[in-house]
Amino acid sequence: MLIWVAALHCEASPVIDFYRLRKSQGEKAFDLYLGDDMACIVSGVGKLASAAASAWMAARYRDEASLAWINIGTAGAARHDIGAIFLLDKIVDGDTAKCYFPAPTSIPLLPGSACLTLSQPSRDYREDCLFDMEASGFISSALRFSSAELIRCIKVVSDNRHAETGRNREQVSALIRQHIDSIEQQTTDLLALNNEVAALEFSAESWQRLLALAHFTQTQQNRLRVLWRYLHNRDLGPEALLQELSTRRTAASMIDMLERISHGNSETL
Amino acid sequence: MTSCIYLESGIRHHPLAQNILERLHRLPVIEIEHFGEVFNPRAQNFRLQKKNPAIIIASKNKGHVLAAPEGYGLGGDHNYYFSHMLNCLYDCRYCFLQGMYRSAHQVVFVNYEDFGEQIRQTAASHGQAPVWFFSGYDCDSLANEPLTHFTEYFIPLVASIENAWMELRTKSTQVRSMLNQEPVARVVTAFSFSDRFSHDSLEHGVPSIAKRIDAMRRLSDAGWPVGLRFDPVVYHENYELGFSELLDQVFAEIDADGLHSVSLGAFRLTRDHFHRVSRLYPDEPLFAQNMQLDNGIVSYPSARERQMIEFCEAQLMKYIPVQTYHPCEWHD
Repeated sequence: MLIWVAALHCEASPVIDFYRLRKSQGEKAFDLYLGDDMACIVSGVGKLASAAASAWMAARYRDEASLAWINIGTAGAARHDIGAIFLLDKIVDGDTAKCYFPAPTSIPLLPGSACLTLSQPSRDYREDCLFDMEASGFISSALRFSSAELIRCIKVVSDNRHAETGRNREQVSALIRQHIDSIEQQTTDLLALNNEVAALEFSAESWQRLLALAHFTQTQQNRLRVLWRYLHNRDLGPEALLQELSTRRTAASMIDMLERISHGNSETL
Repeated sequence: MTSCIYLESGIRHHPLAQNILERLHRLPVIEIEHFGEVFNPRAQNFRLQKKNPAIIIASKNKGHVLAAPEGYGLGGDHNYYFSHMLNCLYDCRYCFLQGMYRSAHQVVFVNYEDFGEQIRQTAASHGQAPVWFFSGYDCDSLANEPLTHFTEYFIPLVASIENAWMELRTKSTQVRSMLNQEPVARVVTAFSFSDRFSHDSLEHGVPSIAKRIDAMRRLSDAGWPVGLRFDPVVYHENYELGFSELLDQVFAEIDADGLHSVSLGAFRLTRDHFHRVSRLYPDEPLFAQNMQLDNGIVSYPSARERQMIEFCEAQLMKYIPVQTYHPCEWHD
């Protein structure tokens, strides 16, 4: 599952339109747009809002095998042209000076940049980096739920020393929309990586069916999880295994059976 | 494929840092204060990161030379290790580094001179007694040689310290730098080998067995002491055939009587490393094999391990003099 986090509707709308995400009705805390394998949340401005929205999404999708994240938005910059796009490689929180490092990607098709996340808007373009108000909140929250390799921040410059377009909603959407092809490439790459991680996990449904077969202690469940995950990854047919397991009387004998299958399967490397 | 360079701002002007930056000038450079900012955070996936690891150029400020773990050595009384690099170019599935480090990025500590000073002091602290310094504990000693110029600095250093000995441990074929130097009798290059079945399944990115044997032979022919490390020996249904064939292949090229040392050990990991790496690779058959936990170490059941070691030792003794053999002693 891919989660988009954007501060404003005008920043989210190019993604919503391109992927044809549908508004989820009845949500009270945040505006949410849904697709088959992705969702977009509009958090509101500021790192606290962005962190809260990210955590809210992580809770909503806690049963997903793996979550990937993209923060999409605009930024200010001293030196860069309006409309320039960057993939953040270093995020610094302006209040705490804590640094975060989104992992390098396999397709560096977007130039990288550092970004300083501020608590208040500022026109003091004194540093050689981008400025925004959400990235550090977003990434500090997202890192609780996913590894850095599955988290990206894409920023498009909307303000610089010579021009300010960040308050014009239509212009903001246009600035992001002009880069939708590059954004799509990043999305495709990230989804592939996320799917690779997700594929290592067995389905929640098969796990529940397994647990229903006997009373497993916590220690047994821990062992069972390891075995079930291995056998899932070796394509050993959960249906056939569940059928065989249902003929066993005790949790211990079920684990023993799965151990013997794993050991036998693993001797050929 | 290397993705980018993280550079500690304080080491930017070090000549080796500059050399690396020049060699990898096409890569983006991200400035950091301390390598731990990137290397240490928990929310990293070693498996994913291994696809596109970065190079971290850093300075090591303490712990340059450390006492070697118990049982790690070649018969000497004073054994130390030092790590000019963290993490390895290769991706061997049995390697403990996967379980020890959160990050797969390769850290290069460019302040060799500080390592050198500590090596001198450590050697001097033992008077005239031989002191072993093991490289290749946290990395492959030679794999990154074109980038790190490791042997160009450390071999002359060890040569200048009369009681210092050094082991370079490698799966690499990067021996050109050493072939351009005068051989030093107190520098042993130990080549690690697994049988072809294990190599094909578990040693991702590692040069072929044949190429490594060739590199070993070229070093030996040039007068460098060389050793063999059959560690870890991994159990599989063809391990006996595989190990026998491996020895035939090695000793068809390498003079057994000229070897400095040979060691042998079965696959083993600490419990914590094993748990971490098996969560990273839940699809890996190696971690699903029948294992036991003994004194904090996950390894094969005693009977199986004994059988494996006895078989491999018996095969080895057909080729090597017994005094060359150093078994890996990890059981209490």
